[in-house]
Amino acid sequence: MAQTALSASKVKPGDEAPVLTHTLGRTDLVKYAGASGDFNPMHTDEVAAQAAGQPSVFGHGMFSMGFLGTAITNYVGVGNLTNYRVRFARQTWPGEELHTQVVVSGVREEQGNSLVDLDVRLVNAEGEEKVVGTATARADA
Amino acid sequence: MAEAETTYAEFLQSMIGKSAGTSKVVVERGPVSVFADAVLDDNPVYHDADAAKAAGFSGIPAPPTYPFIMEHWGKFAELQTGEEVPNPMGEALGPLIAKGGLILHGEQEYIYHRPVVSGDVLLGEGKVVDAYQKESRGRTMTFVVTETNWTDESGAPVVTTRFNIIHRS
Repeated sequence: MAQTALSASKVKPGDEAPVLTHTLGRTDLVKYAGASGDFNPMHTDEVAAQAAGQPSVFGHGMFSMGFLGTAITNYVGVGNLTNYRVRFARQTWPGEELHTQVVVSGVREEQGNSLVDLDVRLVNAEGEEKVVGTATARADA
Repeated sequence: MAEAETTYAEFLQSMIGKSAGTSKVVVERGPVSVFADAVLDDNPVYHDADAAKAAGFSGIPAPPTYPFIMEHWGKFAELQTGEEVPNPMGEALGPLIAKGGLILHGEQEYIYHRPVVSGDVLLGEGKVVDAYQKESRGRTMTFVVTETNWTDESGAPVVTTRFNIIHRS
């Protein structure tokens, strides 16, 4: 069950997936809170976030992982991921321009199946890392 | 008889292997589509049953991070059969939270055995697989890693999640 996969014979280390860019808005935080059930006031309540010492509400870490996931599945095809892992490095803020970075780090075979390994990051316009991690996807031969 | 005093480090170690309980969830296409919108994915397979079928899926597939929120939408009360167990993450970090500090989501990992699709009824069994402390820039960081294995009604593995939560002093 999957969309068209990458072709292992055509991809190579260094290949980059198309970049997705999005300027984070407070409405994104509202939509993500509603869709995920995470109503932590740090993401949803500007007054509470500032009272807690934050400059404003900030984005859900899992939104960053989710948005980066969109760029990954656009590239490898929905249904082909075997692994996706990230470390949460920095908060995201309304007004920040977020960029996805998905780069092939390796192509290999395991038990007769072709796999593509990816280095994945979500960064802002200044290149500051928000989430950093790796992903692996099945590929066609 | 006097009780032996346990250090926090020993207490933390004793959390490893503790069950985080079980959870049964139903995956439905409505929440899946709304979640895809929320992570800015307009791929037709998440929104259109004909597109999903044409791509070979047995239902509407779920975006990669959907397992994190499956319980919010699909943990229907009448399906739960497991005993309610105290949350071991809460137990492990409670003594630290009481003294202040911050709780942070450190890392998240998914191992996909097959795609999650609408119609799935999944059983999740969680347990603490690691717990440790590190000093970093004058603060104590305490990590608790919980692994949940989700299987479908045939008992086949679907997705394994590893949730690494941090308390920073």
